[in-house]
Amino acid sequence: MTRRAPRLLLGFLFGLVLWAALSRPYEPLLAGGAGLLLSAFESPDVTRLAAEGGGIRVERRDFPPRSPRPVLPAADLHFNFVLLVALFALGPALPPAARLGRFLIALSLLFLIHAAALLFQVESVYATALGPWSEAHYGAVARNFWAGGFHFYQIAGRFAAPFVLWWALGRGEAEAESAASAPGPPRRQQKKKRKRS
Amino acid sequence: MNRDTRDPHPGPGTAAASRRRSLGFLARFVGFLVLFYLAVSNRPVNDAVIVPFTAWIASVSGGILNLLGESVEVGGTELSAPGFAVNIENGCNGVETALLFSSAVLAFPAPWRRRLVGLLLGFLAIQALNFVRVVTLFWVGLHRPALFNSSHTVLWQSAVVLFGVLLFLFWAAREKRWRAAPAESGVRRG
Repeated sequence: MTRRAPRLLLGFLFGLVLWAALSRPYEPLLAGGAGLLLSAFESPDVTRLAAEGGGIRVERRDFPPRSPRPVLPAADLHFNFVLLVALFALGPALPPAARLGRFLIALSLLFLIHAAALLFQVESVYATALGPWSEAHYGAVARNFWAGGFHFYQIAGRFAAPFVLWWALGRGEAEAESAASAPGPPRRQQKKKRKRS
Repeated sequence: MNRDTRDPHPGPGTAAASRRRSLGFLARFVGFLVLFYLAVSNRPVNDAVIVPFTAWIASVSGGILNLLGESVEVGGTELSAPGFAVNIENGCNGVETALLFSSAVLAFPAPWRRRLVGLLLGFLAIQALNFVRVVTLFWVGLHRPALFNSSHTVLWQSAVVLFGVLLFLFWAAREKRWRAAPAESGVRRG
């Protein structure tokens, strides 16, 4: 823990700087990705998402022209990038090139998770926040599915996602070989069993 | 002789087995996380456990803030002072990090007694840090309101979650040593 804590702290600070620098250019990309996912669930395809001042503006072609457009806070969705950077700073067992490669794969998967979370958030707004329109267009199961999915992301998913990605991709093989992943009987007992067989 | 019996160059079979165990851990971790989430998001559980627990956090944090010279009133899960008030909700009560930590400890292969000890000590440590978070955030909101949002969302949430992960890794490393100890003593006797 004493060796890991400083690395985690440095990674956290580095992640914060990166996140502060990249979050604004990232948000149009996120809006585009989630928009593509949304179009798979909509018929006709009426929603357009646009990044706007640290939020994602939800534009529907069938909204009344004068009605206010929801703007969803974007930082809540993607600040877990900082956690991913901090956790990857922990992994000592991989060569730098391999660690960078796996980090880029983890980042791509995190982008997909962010896009899916934004899809759930937009659909949960449609399903629960638009009064009679929501009730007319979404049944009880659909309302619970979309709102529950986004609530799960808020409470657990956004914190668990970087941990899962790091566990699967960020730890070296040597570390994976160690007890952090391995149960099983001690090696000596395994040898004895082999001799008997 | 105290000889390390591990193979320094694990073969493809060992690596594949390790990968399987690692993925098994992740599957159990996600399973526990979903179960815990369903439990705490259940309305009766929320009303009977989470809300009173959050009110207790508010009460203790209010006491600490008053000891530090602030003039804070506590009403349920809400802390208020002249010019600033905050309602402590899920996400600020340490429950999300406790869920993460508990899922990881329970998914990890270890004897139940040591898992329970890990859960208890980890929960206490997470809540201790969470008091620091609530008190600090309230102070920031009161005296540096421009910094409240970024401190709340990014800094403290990330810090508490990373602390939970660090605690888990610390516990897992100790668990490895406990497990290795009988094997090593066996080698010595031989």
